[in-house]
Amino acid sequence: MSYFIERGYTSLNHVGEELCGDRVEYAVNGDVLTAVLCDGMGSGVKANILATLSSKILCTMLSAGIPIKDCIETLIASLPVCKVRNVAYATFSVFLINNEGKGDLIEFDNPAAILIRNGEVSDLDREKSVILGKNVYTTKLNLQAGDAVIVTSDGVEHAGIGMMMNFGWERPQIKEYLKRVVKPTMSARAISAALAGECNELYMYEPGDDTTVLGIKVREHAVTSVFVGPPIHKEDDAQYVADFMAIPGKKAVCGGTSSQIVARQLGKEVSAAVDFPDKDIPPIGYIDGIDLTTEGVVTIRRVLELSENYLNPADTDAATLNKRDGATLLAKMLFEDSTDVHFFVGQSQNHAHDGLPIETRMKLKLVDKLADNLKKMGKIVTVRYN
Amino acid sequence: MILSVCVGSSCHLKGSYDVIETFKRLIAERGLADKIELRACFCLNRCSDGVAVKADGNYILGVNGANAEQKFDDEILPLLG
Repeated sequence: MSYFIERGYTSLNHVGEELCGDRVEYAVNGDVLTAVLCDGMGSGVKANILATLSSKILCTMLSAGIPIKDCIETLIASLPVCKVRNVAYATFSVFLINNEGKGDLIEFDNPAAILIRNGEVSDLDREKSVILGKNVYTTKLNLQAGDAVIVTSDGVEHAGIGMMMNFGWERPQIKEYLKRVVKPTMSARAISAALAGECNELYMYEPGDDTTVLGIKVREHAVTSVFVGPPIHKEDDAQYVADFMAIPGKKAVCGGTSSQIVARQLGKEVSAAVDFPDKDIPPIGYIDGIDLTTEGVVTIRRVLELSENYLNPADTDAATLNKRDGATLLAKMLFEDSTDVHFFVGQSQNHAHDGLPIETRMKLKLVDKLADNLKKMGKIVTVRYN
Repeated sequence: MILSVCVGSSCHLKGSYDVIETFKRLIAERGLADKIELRACFCLNRCSDGVAVKADGNYILGVNGANAEQKFDDEILPLLG
């Protein structure tokens, strides 16, 4: 069984710092995803440099199949030594996981990973080994569809120390929180945002430590096809719509003319809602057999904005997406619910749009950028032009 | 009467939202809810003359937030007969 390994993270900076001292890196090599969370000692620039170096070195070397001992050796030899503390130090948690959900989790000095499976929250079986004098813990991963594994920097456990709580947020409470809040439909990004957001509240929005949550989730592939814009040649409509409908999975149609073309080819009618959940976004429409019908460029532009927020690791609300306007509905469908997205982009021009910020070239650019952002989220994306 | 207001891209930019809100208000104020069914629709193929409105078979073009009430009185109400 080939799964989609979803990844997502959320990071809070130490209050007053522009740079985060935690760092997440990803690499994909064949069917193996490498995901690394490093926490550099201290905060600000120094911590950021330590975390950046460590995560990049570990991610690159492990992804290339180099043994962990050699990676740690390189790490120790490379890290600059802190003048104050006279040590070079960054912690790490690394996933090496293939698309069957199998692989390794390697941990050094970060809080132990947490497994979320079927609504239950538990620890993983870790095996300790001493590598170059360091206690490194390895877990053999054998994950099933729906499983999520969460790793964090210690900023999570320190949340609220001396403010909301005497001893910070302790592990049983963190697990209790995850058990209560995580829903089966939530993406890795949404889970990480929920946990980091809760930490931010405990810190009363002034984190005393860099705080990062990285999640990995094993998912069945969920495909969505998006029809944007009519094809240049009218006589291609039938074939184009047939190809669009032939792809299994969910369907979204964006644009007034596009929705009419799809409806005509399917022998259905388009209707439109008359309410505006957001006055800047045109109402959604309905076509029998299509999961979501929206207006075109104005909606896509907002979806692109939402995708920028989704990719901003400091944004703890970006994955919530519970508004009912067309852009938010489409964003949720693409970011949260889909693993694979296929765009059908028609390049026909509507001359009534000339000179307005909705003309075809603009639309193509927006779709390109959106496709790029979906790839940055780790999704499998194709774009077909007609 | 079915009164459809286009909410496609270019009509939206020209003020579909204001037109729909104005029509909603006028229909309520004048107690016309049983005579006029207000709908939104995607693209009436009059993109250059938006906001495009269709009252049964008749097109009313160039509507916007500022003239919606006047268009309603002058061009739509007479169609009710």
